[in-house]
Amino acid sequence: MKYRQMSLAAVMAARICMKIVPHIKSSNYLPQFGIILRKAATQSDFDIQHKTPLARRVAAIPKAQYGGRHAVTMLPGSGIGPELMNYVKEVFRYAGVPVDFEEVQMDPKSESNEDLEYALTSIRRNGVALKGNIETGSMSRGVLSRNVALRNELDLYINVLHCKSYPGVTARQKDIDIIIVRQNTEGEYAMLEHESVSGVVESMKVVTSENSERVARYAFEYAKKNGRKKVTTIHKANIMKLSDGLFLETSRKIASDYPDIEHNDMIIDNCCMQLVSKPHQFDVMIMTNLYGTIVSNVVCGLVGGAGLLSGKNYGDHYAIFEPGTRNTGTAIAGKNIANPVAMLNAAVDMLEHLGHHYHANMIHTAIDRTINEDHIHTPDLGGQATSIDVVQNIIKYLQETTKTSNW
Amino acid sequence: MLCSYVRRMALCNGQFCKTLFRVSQSLPVVCTRSFHPSSAAPAIQAPVSKPEGRTKCTLIPGDGVGPELVYSVQEVFKAAGVPVDFETFFFSEVHHTMSAPLEDVAKSIATNGICLKGILATPDYSHSGELASLNMKLRRALDLYANVVHVKSLPGVKCRHQNVDAVIIREQTEGEYSALEHECVKGVVECLKIVTKAKSERIAKFAFDYATKNKRKKVTAVHKANIMKLGDGLFLKSCQEMAKLYPRIEFETMIVDNCTMQMVSNPRQFDVMVTPNLYGNIVDNLASGLVGGAGVVAGASYSAECVVFEPGARHTYSEAVGKNVANPTAMLLCSAKMLSHVNLQYYCDMIRNAVNRVLKAGKVRTKDLGGQSTTNEYTYAIINSLR
Amino acid sequence: MAAQFIRRVVSNGAPLARYYSSEVRKVTIIPGDGIGPEISAAVQKIFSAANVPIEWESVDVTPVRGPDGRFGIPQAAIDSVNKNKVGLKGPLMTPVGKGHRSLNLALRKEFNLYANVRPCRSLEGYETLYDNVDVVTIRENTEGEYSGIEHEIVDGVVQSIKLITEEASRRVAEFAFTYTKTNGRQKVTAVHKANIMRMSDGLFLHCCREAAEKFPDVKFEEKYLDTVCLNMVQDPTQYDVLVMPNLYGDILSDMCAGLVGGLGLTPSGNIGLNGALFESVHGTAPDIAGQDKANPTALLLSGVMMLRYMKLSDHADRIEKACFDTIKDAKYRTGDLGGSAKCSEFTDEICRKVQSG
Repeated sequence: MKYRQMSLAAVMAARICMKIVPHIKSSNYLPQFGIILRKAATQSDFDIQHKTPLARRVAAIPKAQYGGRHAVTMLPGSGIGPELMNYVKEVFRYAGVPVDFEEVQMDPKSESNEDLEYALTSIRRNGVALKGNIETGSMSRGVLSRNVALRNELDLYINVLHCKSYPGVTARQKDIDIIIVRQNTEGEYAMLEHESVSGVVESMKVVTSENSERVARYAFEYAKKNGRKKVTTIHKANIMKLSDGLFLETSRKIASDYPDIEHNDMIIDNCCMQLVSKPHQFDVMIMTNLYGTIVSNVVCGLVGGAGLLSGKNYGDHYAIFEPGTRNTGTAIAGKNIANPVAMLNAAVDMLEHLGHHYHANMIHTAIDRTINEDHIHTPDLGGQATSIDVVQNIIKYLQETTKTSNW
Repeated sequence: MLCSYVRRMALCNGQFCKTLFRVSQSLPVVCTRSFHPSSAAPAIQAPVSKPEGRTKCTLIPGDGVGPELVYSVQEVFKAAGVPVDFETFFFSEVHHTMSAPLEDVAKSIATNGICLKGILATPDYSHSGELASLNMKLRRALDLYANVVHVKSLPGVKCRHQNVDAVIIREQTEGEYSALEHECVKGVVECLKIVTKAKSERIAKFAFDYATKNKRKKVTAVHKANIMKLGDGLFLKSCQEMAKLYPRIEFETMIVDNCTMQMVSNPRQFDVMVTPNLYGNIVDNLASGLVGGAGVVAGASYSAECVVFEPGARHTYSEAVGKNVANPTAMLLCSAKMLSHVNLQYYCDMIRNAVNRVLKAGKVRTKDLGGQSTTNEYTYAIINSLR
Repeated sequence: MAAQFIRRVVSNGAPLARYYSSEVRKVTIIPGDGIGPEISAAVQKIFSAANVPIEWESVDVTPVRGPDGRFGIPQAAIDSVNKNKVGLKGPLMTPVGKGHRSLNLALRKEFNLYANVRPCRSLEGYETLYDNVDVVTIRENTEGEYSGIEHEIVDGVVQSIKLITEEASRRVAEFAFTYTKTNGRQKVTAVHKANIMRMSDGLFLHCCREAAEKFPDVKFEEKYLDTVCLNMVQDPTQYDVLVMPNLYGDILSDMCAGLVGGLGLTPSGNIGLNGALFESVHGTAPDIAGQDKANPTALLLSGVMMLRYMKLSDHADRIEKACFDTIKDAKYRTGDLGGSAKCSEFTDEICRKVQSG
C-alpha cells in the first residue's frame, strides 16, 4: 500500500520534471502534439533517468584495454586540477603504469555543452575517468553543472568515500576507518527547481526505490566482500516520511538478505553529532545525496582535511575517480602548495579498479611512507613542504621499488 | 590567474627536468661508442620509468630467417643495455616435432604480457589434418584480435611513393580465417566466413581508440558490403555506429578493390584503416610493398591482456636462410615498439633513432634495399650508431 | 542454395558457334548509363572507320518488373546476347537498395560468365609510377566469396559461405592456360591462400596444378595472395598471367588497374559458357556525362579484346595501335590523362590514324 503511494509520487515527480526539463535542456525539446510518450526516443540519458528510472538500460561498449594497457579519460578541470594531474602523470611514468590518458579539456567559461558532450562520449568509450573538479562558470540555466551532469548522464549512482586516518597526520580523531556510500544521482540534487508563484520556489527531492535499492545493495555487498561488520543508514525519515522513508525502508529490506551484517539507522543531525564525538562506532554508512555531502565533508575534516581522501563514483558501466571533497581550490592554484595526495589516491583507486594491483600497491605504499614515515606534509596538513617535495619523495620510493622488481 | 598558473607549471617542469636529467645520466650508457666520444649527454632526456628493473619478454624466433633476425635484435639489445630478459621458445609448424607445445607458449605470453615473434611458416597441408594453422591457434588461444601494422616511409629507403604514413588495423580472429571448411558434395567445398557484431565493434573501437591515442585524424573502414551485404554489412554498420562516439575523428568507408587501387596510386590519403581479416592481409602486404618490402615494416597483435610484436608483412623468406642477407629492420622496429609499450621509451627512441640514422646515411644497406651489406654488417652499423 | 549453384555450374551451354572472318556479324551493344552512350558512340565510330565487319544491335538493360514481380533484365536484351554470343557493354549504374541484385551480377549469372579477364598494361607516353606493367588477371567469376549465400545465424553473428567447386575451378584454370597459350604469353601464376583456407583454396590450387600438367609448355607457379600483393607493388614485371578465385581477383584486378593509371584505361572481358561480354569497368561518371569529356579508351580496348576473341586480330591490332599512338602523342588526350581534348577530338584522331594506318 505504502509502496503504491511511493510510486505514485514518483510518477507525479516525473510528470513535473517533464515540464521543467525543457528549461534545463536545449529548447528543441518541447513536446509536440502533446504525445509525451513518443518523445522517449529523443530523450537524453538524463531525462530517462529522471522520468523513467526503471527504463534505463545502456548497452555496454567494449572495454578500452589493449595489450594490457588501459585508456583512461582525464578531466583535469580547473583550479589545482591541472597541476595535480601532472603529478599523477609523473608518478605513473616512474611507476611504469600501463595506462594511457586521453586528456579532455573543458572550458569553464563556455556557454555551450559541447565540451561536456565530448567528455561524456570519451568516458563512455573508455569506461573509466580520472577527474579534477570542474567549474561551471556560466550561471545560465541552459548550461548544466558539469559535475552533476557527468554523474547523471553516466548514471554513476554511487559515490564511495573511504575515510581512513593517516597515522602520520595529526588530527582530532585517530584510527578512523569509515566507508561512506552515497546516492549520487537523485535526491535533493535532482536539479528540479521552479518558482511556482512569485516569491515561492519549489525544489524537488526525488527518491526512487530502484536507485535506493542499488545503493543499499552495493553497500551490503561491499561490506560482505571486505569483511565489514555494520551498515548504518543515514536519513531524516522522521520529517521526510515518504522520500527518506522509502530510502530507509529499502535499505531495511536489503539488509534482511545479509543476516551476518549488522544494520542500524540514524537520523542525520544525530549522525553529525556522533561523528565528531564517537566516530569509531561507524563502519559502512549509506545515505542520500545531500546528507552524503555533509557527512563526507565532516569525516574528511576529522581525518585531516580535504587534501588526502579520494572518492569513487560507480555506475553499472562507468567509473569516475576524483579527490574526495569536491573543491576546485582556485585560491591555491599555481602556488605549489596544493596537497597532491588526494588526487594520487584517486589514481590508486583507479588502478585497483582496472586490476593493476601491483602498481596500485606500489604507489599506495610510497604515499603512505611519505606521509607517515617521512612526515612530508603540505601546509594544509600543518607542514612546510611544497607539492613538488611530496611528489618527489613519492617518486624516490617508486624508484627504489622498481629497481628490484621484475614485471 | 591563469598566467601565474602557467608560469608555475613551467617552473615545475623545469624542476622535474632537472631530476629527470639526473636519472637519465645515471643510466648505464653503454651506447656511447668511440664513434662520437663527444656525445656523452644522451640525446633524449625523457625519463625512464624503470631504470634498473628488468622486464621479461617471450621470444619466438619463428621459421625462415627469423632466428637470424632475432639474433640481430638480441645483439642490439645487449649493446644498448636494454633491461629486457628473453624467454625463448622454439615454435614451428614446419618442424612440428621439435616445437614447444602451444599451451606453454601461450602461458608464457600471458604471464609476460609481451612477446617478440618472428614469422611462422604455414604449410599448405597440416600434419595433423587440422584446418587451423599454428598462427591462428596462437591468436585464438590468446585472443589476439587486433593486428596493427604501421606502414611508414623510412628515411633513405628509395621507393616509388614517399611520405606514406598509414596504420592498418585488422581483425584477425574471425572472417575468412575461421577454419570452418567442409566438402558438402564431392568437388564442392564450402568455406565459412563468420562476422560477428561483438568482434566487429571491438575492432572498430580499437581503431578509433588507437587513432585517439596517437592523435590521428581519420579512420577508413575497408569492406565489400556491396556484395557481401550481410557479413561485411555488419562490419560496416558496427564501424559506423562506433564512429558516432568519436566526433573529433573523421570517418570514411571504402570498398576493398577501390582501396587497393587508391593505395597504389595515392597512398598518402590514408591515415588509420580498419579492415576485416582477409582484406587486412591484402592491404598490409600491399602497403608494405609501397615502403620497401617485408623487411622494413613492423606490426603488432593485441589482445586485451597482451601484445605480440611481429613483422607487419608475414614472409618467412626461407630462401635466404643462412645467407646472412635478411633485413632485420622490421624486427628491430618491432622491438622498439615493444620497449615503448612497456614504458621503456628511452631505449625505444635509442634503437629507433639508430635505425633511422643508418638508413638515412645509406652506406650500409641490405640487399632488399639495394645494398650489398650482410645482416651482420647492418646490425653492427646500428650498434655503432646507438647513442 | 549450394545445390542450385551446382546445377547452374554443371549445365553446360552450347559451344560457341564459329564464323568465317569475312562474314558480317551481329554484336550486342549495351551503351550503359552516364557517360556510357558517348563512349559507346565513340567506339562504334572508330570501328566503322576501321571497317570492322560488325553490325551493332543496341539493347537497353534498364530493369523491368518480371512476371514473378521481381525486377530483372528485359528479356529482349537476354535474347540478343544469347543469339549473338558476343556483347560490348558500357558502365551501368547499380541502383542502391530496392532489393534487386546489381545488374552486373545479374548479367554475369544470366550468361554464365565464368572468367573475367583484365589485361593491365602500362601505356607508353602516359607516365605513372609504374612504367613496365604487363599483367593479365583472370578471375573466377561465378562462385567463391561472392556466392551470395549469407545468413544471420543468431543475432549479431553473420555467416557467409565461400563456395569453391571443382568444376568451376578447373574451367577457369584451363581457360587461363588456353588464354596464355593463344596470346603468346609465358607464365601462369595461381594466386591463393591455401595456407589458411586449406580445403577451399586447396581445391582451387589442385585444379590449377592439374591444368598445368595439360599444358607443359606454359610455365606455372603458385603464390600466396599476400606475397603477390607485396611483390606486385614492388616489381610488377615478375608476373604475367594471374589466375585466382573471385574475391582475390576482384581486388588484384583493381589494384593492377591502379598501377597503370586507373580503371579508365583498363579493358575487361567476361568469358562465359553462353557467350562473352566485354565491358569497361569504370564508373558512370554522371558529373561529366553529356559534356564530351569522357575517355573512351577502356571501352575501346575492351572492343579490341572482343575483336581478338572473334578472331578479327587484324582489325584489333590496327585499332589498338591507333589508340596507343594517339595517347602517346599527347596531343589529343582527354582530361583524365592530363590533356584538354574533348572525347570527340580524341575519337576523330583515332579514326584518322586507323584509316591512314
